[in-house]
Amino acid sequence: MEWEQLDLNPRIIAAVKKANFRSAKDILCVSGPDVQRLTRLSKADVQRLHVCVAAVVFKSKPLSALQLLRGECPVLEAGHRLSFACPVLDGLMRGGLPVRGITELAGESAAGKTQFCLQLCLSVQYPQENGGLNSGAVYICTEDSFPIKRLRQLITQQPQLRPDLPPALIRSRHFSDNIYIEHAADLEALQACVSQRVPVLLKRGLVRLLVVDSVAALFRSEFQADEAVQRSRHLLAFSNTLHRLSHEYGAPVVCVNQVTDVVDGPNPGRCDYGLVGSKVLPALGIAWANQVMVRLMLRRLPGQVQSDGRSSAPRKLEVVFAPHLPRASCLCGVWEEGVRGIPDDHSDLQPQGSS
Amino acid sequence: MQRTVPSLPLAPSVKVKLINAGFQVASDLIDMRPLQLCKEAGISQEEAVEVLQMLRDDGQPHQQRAATESLTALDLLHQEQALGSIVTFCSALDDALGGGVPVGKTTEICGAPGVGKTQLCMQLAVDVQIPVCFGGLGGKALYIDTEGSFLVQRVVDMAEAVVQHCTLLAEDTEQRQALEELTVEKILSSLFLVRCHDYVELLAEVYLLPDFLSEHPEVRLVVIDSIAFPFRHDFEDLSQRTRLLNGLAQQLIQLATQHSLAVVLTNQMTTRVSNGQSKLVPALGESWGHAATQRLILHWEGLRRLASLYKSPSQMEATIQYQITLQGFRDAPDEPRPTPASSAVSCPSGNHSKRPRMEDLS
Repeated sequence: MEWEQLDLNPRIIAAVKKANFRSAKDILCVSGPDVQRLTRLSKADVQRLHVCVAAVVFKSKPLSALQLLRGECPVLEAGHRLSFACPVLDGLMRGGLPVRGITELAGESAAGKTQFCLQLCLSVQYPQENGGLNSGAVYICTEDSFPIKRLRQLITQQPQLRPDLPPALIRSRHFSDNIYIEHAADLEALQACVSQRVPVLLKRGLVRLLVVDSVAALFRSEFQADEAVQRSRHLLAFSNTLHRLSHEYGAPVVCVNQVTDVVDGPNPGRCDYGLVGSKVLPALGIAWANQVMVRLMLRRLPGQVQSDGRSSAPRKLEVVFAPHLPRASCLCGVWEEGVRGIPDDHSDLQPQGSS
Repeated sequence: MQRTVPSLPLAPSVKVKLINAGFQVASDLIDMRPLQLCKEAGISQEEAVEVLQMLRDDGQPHQQRAATESLTALDLLHQEQALGSIVTFCSALDDALGGGVPVGKTTEICGAPGVGKTQLCMQLAVDVQIPVCFGGLGGKALYIDTEGSFLVQRVVDMAEAVVQHCTLLAEDTEQRQALEELTVEKILSSLFLVRCHDYVELLAEVYLLPDFLSEHPEVRLVVIDSIAFPFRHDFEDLSQRTRLLNGLAQQLIQLATQHSLAVVLTNQMTTRVSNGQSKLVPALGESWGHAATQRLILHWEGLRRLASLYKSPSQMEATIQYQITLQGFRDAPDEPRPTPASSAVSCPSGNHSKRPRMEDLS
């Protein structure tokens, strides 16, 4: 750190140098009395030093929420959302996924989690005015190999899913060229992927969506039951990386999560997020839940839903929590062309509906 | 004002020289000239000027502090009442807190993800702006977002609800006049947002706060949502974390009293296992529990959202129910509860409340 650049009395700068402070961070991380002791400066000098260093480290000035709403600050654009490519689902999500932050999609196996992720990988490639981010996606698989056949099918069926868009626009997209697929078989590979390869793609603007399918698989398999502390430390480091990437590049992060069975009986250590009557809860516990901004749950319901003479098993997509959404849910089905919500008259909008 | 030389905020080497030269108390120094002091104490001229400067700067607030010391408890009570508090729009919670979130103190809100911490913070950031004639504070708010979960869309919902609420209440001309200025745009433009990405940025921002608050004296609320998020990553040395957090807590309390602010912090929950039993406790360890003046824990119980006042120097421990609606943080609806047995008479703060209360839970 170039201490001479600071707008301070040379005497203070000399004292700071003498005390062997290497960076501004070092100074901020030492309390006032300690700096006083180490530099032998007076209290007022140390205060001046702290304020001056703080101004160097932290340059962003407070913005008003109105400026944010009007999009006057491009780094913090507030309103834009990544569309699910379905008006019903977008209605539930008030437009789609927030551009910054980690969104979790939890559900039992065969609930349709991967289907949602694939659909987002295509939706992100449309221009902003069509609900996309005009960029590609990275898809990190940790469980199964990437469902490439299903992706091809979804791409050919795009005109059916998006009848609202001009066919020329859909044809002009090279969908499969813009989806980068990574396989991570263990935690080390996963961490290397998100901390080295993914940032390169984001920096070049090649992608603006990161899907991890799934976080639970590796974290649940690599740790024993008694290694909870270690697991949560790894989990925090991993989620911190995702969080940074998402905020730095304005790229939504979608993490698929498994569910865990609820063991009966009172347990004060369990947090059920008000999901009473649900037999399953998202896996990985509260350490992970604290890192998630939007938590969605997907359930497969018994029965059939019909659309255009075809039928599918109904699924319920439920918002468990999100800072901008009420707790709500909607029914959806998985069709050849992708996931589609089922409009009002069928869906139950009870805040607490459970199967 | 007999302040001794060793207690002055000066560099140790200067203090030693002053004491060796026979200066015992501050008043020995105050009438000196710089050149004279420089000769007598054997310090450089620059240092001498600084000593005298400091004494003069220090004299002002010191006298004020001395004046405060002679306040009676009654004066203090009046002072505290004059500061007021920020209503939450959930009257059960307001009652439990003694009128709302108090100005001049720090309040910590703990809770599991999704229970409504951010919602309550946003609600407060809007409510602090309610004009004085409607019983509000007419202040501004600064929101320090460390989690990236401040979504302006949601604040717009709440601001609209507050404007509508005040419109319904407006009776006299003063209130109608105030109403003309109370628009969603006005509310949003008086809510400042800072985003901090790690703990270093957060510490830096807190050092910069005094300047910001002097520029914006109308700010009555500072929210940090959340304090836990940046401090739960990349800390190998937990004792350093504790020191930094304690320092931060001290700075925040100082800001709260000096600038008449309500400081609201949010904290996450973590699992603690003791005797084979696990339970949820606020994060950041035991010593952080002393940091805030008041501690409010939000939690789920079945389908209900409950808020428990866990630590407070002035209010009784209480647990109340609330809900999050489209409009924001609100009272729970009057629902026919399965056991409406004996909760009717047990509420001490008057029977104007029609809401279900559960003070016997904690």
